[in-house]
Amino acid sequence: MADTAYDVIIIGSGPGGYVTAIRSAQLGLKTAIVEREHLGGICLNWGCIPTKALLRSAEMMDHANHAKHYGLKLEGKMSADVKDVVARSRGVSARLNGGVGFLMKKNKIDVIWGEAKLTKPGEVVVGKSTKPAVEPQHPVPKGVKGEGTYTAKHIIVATGARPRALPGIEPDGKLIWTYFEAMKPDFMPKSLVVMGSGAIGIEFASFYRSMGVDVTVVEVMKNVMPVEDAEISGIARKALEKRGMKILTEAKVAKVEKGANSITAHVETKDGKVQTITADRLISAVGVVGNIENLGLEALGVKTDHGCVMIDGYGKTNVPGLYAIGDVAGPPMLAHKAEHEGVVCIEKIAGLPNVHPMDKGKIPGCTYCNPQVASVGLTEAAAKEAGRDIRVGRFSFGANGKAIALGEDNGLIKTIFDKKTGELLGAHMVGTEVTELIQGFVVAMNLETTEEDLMHTIFPHPTLSEMMKESVLDAYGRALNA
Amino acid sequence: MARRLAKLNGLDLAQISGTGPHGRIVKKDIEAALEKGVGKAATSASASAPASAAPAAAAAPSGMSSDQVLKLFDDDSYELVPHDGMRKTIAKRLTESKQTIPHFYVSVDCELDALLALRSQLNGAAPTDKDGKPAYKLSVNDMTIKALALALRDVPDANVSWTDDNMVKHKHADVGVAVSIPGGLITPIVRQAEMKPLSVISNEMKDLGKRAKERKLKPEEYQGGTTAVSNMGMMDVKDFSAVVNPPHATILAVGAGEQRPVVKDGALAIATVMTVTLSTDHRCVDGALGAELLAAFKGYIQNPMSMLV
Ligand SMILES: Cc1cc2nc3c(=O)[nH]c(=O)nc-3n(C[C@H](O)[C@H](O)[C@H](O)COP(=O)(O)OP(=O)(O)OC[C@H]3O[C@@H](n4cnc5c(N)ncnc54)[C@H](O)[C@@H]3O)c2cc1C
Repeated sequence: MADTAYDVIIIGSGPGGYVTAIRSAQLGLKTAIVEREHLGGICLNWGCIPTKALLRSAEMMDHANHAKHYGLKLEGKMSADVKDVVARSRGVSARLNGGVGFLMKKNKIDVIWGEAKLTKPGEVVVGKSTKPAVEPQHPVPKGVKGEGTYTAKHIIVATGARPRALPGIEPDGKLIWTYFEAMKPDFMPKSLVVMGSGAIGIEFASFYRSMGVDVTVVEVMKNVMPVEDAEISGIARKALEKRGMKILTEAKVAKVEKGANSITAHVETKDGKVQTITADRLISAVGVVGNIENLGLEALGVKTDHGCVMIDGYGKTNVPGLYAIGDVAGPPMLAHKAEHEGVVCIEKIAGLPNVHPMDKGKIPGCTYCNPQVASVGLTEAAAKEAGRDIRVGRFSFGANGKAIALGEDNGLIKTIFDKKTGELLGAHMVGTEVTELIQGFVVAMNLETTEEDLMHTIFPHPTLSEMMKESVLDAYGRALNA
Repeated sequence: MARRLAKLNGLDLAQISGTGPHGRIVKKDIEAALEKGVGKAATSASASAPASAAPAAAAAPSGMSSDQVLKLFDDDSYELVPHDGMRKTIAKRLTESKQTIPHFYVSVDCELDALLALRSQLNGAAPTDKDGKPAYKLSVNDMTIKALALALRDVPDANVSWTDDNMVKHKHADVGVAVSIPGGLITPIVRQAEMKPLSVISNEMKDLGKRAKERKLKPEEYQGGTTAVSNMGMMDVKDFSAVVNPPHATILAVGAGEQRPVVKDGALAIATVMTVTLSTDHRCVDGALGAELLAAFKGYIQNPMSMLV
């Protein structure tokens, strides 16, 4: 094989792309990955990981501010050094970015540096990036291949997504931020308007609030984090408001006026009233759109829908030999969804037996605000809408020994079962560390356990996880500590 | 979940194939089965294993996983042939048999000289049609079938099937005959063999054997039966023991007839001898009963004229 000919070329090295590349190499396929900006994609560089680093600083801050509650005395006032908080977050990202480079080398995957374009079936032309890179950048990895024409039997598009811009409120990088600017502030604003209360918006709102910023969240839907169970969302909202966050729902940012060093947002509420909010900056967090442009998809006749490539259950597009996975292949736009979708796709390409399409109903979602929110499966409303006869279990953090000991006694674990079959349809949580708890229910759902199996499972004491069992017991009127 | 759904819908898990990890039956499989109407648990009092035992069989340990087995060999040192339906049925039924049936074995030697003599006499006397084709050509196997059927008639306590609740005492000896066919084996049944003349058994067997090889048997031609014969004599096997095929309680493994030294009236002599081994389901055919059945069988083989009356 010529050294520009591969079994598989993957475009984009985000969690979707790089994980797929590793699995591809494990399956013995000659694999290359094209990247124009940063190994690890949005997730490692400007998404999941650096936000979690920032939120850890926020958490330390929150703890310090409550030190007294734990009998600890802190002399003087706790304050954040923006530069150092950001530097730590960038350092965490750099470490993982380097880690992906190492993994590529270890698995003998060629990294081709530059912007990929599909010119004809089976061919990828890599040129200079036409996209201005987000600064600061991590160094270009060593030993990469350069621009040129490459061929492959199978090409997987994993180009990810970018912030969606609302007309008239386009981010300008100065006064109107996207997650890129919000991730690396060079000063701490006094006040912020966050437009959109999905996971990204609410995480930044929570981070900045912990840093002492005056934060107003504006959300068009009825609830914050609209995809979450309404009851959970309501508890989260109350907790966030208690922390001093202002939240406007069923409200829309209609217009933004820019001042010299501030913005004024005109917010329209449901009743038709308009209020103005002046703040230092506005964060636009109204979702993301797939990176489907400038790839040559149109010329190949690849079908797209709402800014995403259309695929079947195994990542296949309508064009033979061309596949798409991850954010560019549609929601939910989550790193673990991208990874799994990629693994399914490449295992199918390799012809492994028993490859099953991903079940989108079993993808967990986590939001790392304070308090955290995590869920999997159907919400109570969705289950009812689907006509399911259900049983709902609830258990509050206030009745759990570990939560009380932690001083984190606000939260709820909610479970939803099919009344007839005992199938676990959904689990929803709000409270401290629930992002680490949810996986227990994800495993349960994947193994298709019923309430009976869960009731037979022993949970260690004292842990937050005991609430998971109590919630299950409660669904059947058997909760012990309630 | 799958188990719960199967129970709610009265499905027999043993009849459903799983598509989950390592072939586990998952919710989707149950839904598919419901749609196609597969796996409805048997409701009639058929002689097959009671439905309640089926989930237990499905849950029984299935040995090493495919991955565990394959790991023991180099990647390019084998090729993989997917199981067909017959292979799966054989595996399932025989595993079930060995796991649920306590097997017990009794062997005996039978002298064949008289039987062979009678056979050639009968074949020689077979009427011929206008093409000169004889109306029957008896084989040793045909005579074995008949002898076993008559022995079961004489020892009716051994002509039984086990169910958890009752002993099923059969009124006729329906003898299954293991026929080896490409890719496996199948056991067509000669019904009421104790009542049929040898010529009928012989011709029936010829037809069943032919259609078995063409895989053209109807289910009712190979399902059920009260006992079975497995004959490896033509392959020069001296003796072996067979696995009981439920709902049978017995199976007779037949070795080759060969000339062996025997002691007759205190002196060495040469006789044609075959060794047969009866496997029994000890739950319903105890050792002594098995021995009694074998003795009756041996009687018919060594005094073959008694099969004719
Ligand atoms: C602030 C923020 C926080 C988030 N937090 C979480 C979280 O906590 N948990 C979670 O699961 N998800 C989170 N996400 C979402 C997550 O980051 C994405 O779902 C994930 O990165 C998608 O992976 P991907 O591989 O599809 O694409 P990306 O990670 O977007 O990677 C695509 C890559 O392709 C490259 N590329 C694009 N076009 C080309 C081209 N033509 N040629 C070469 N290379 C190209 C890009 O440079 C990029 O590196 C967050 C996102 C953001 C923005």
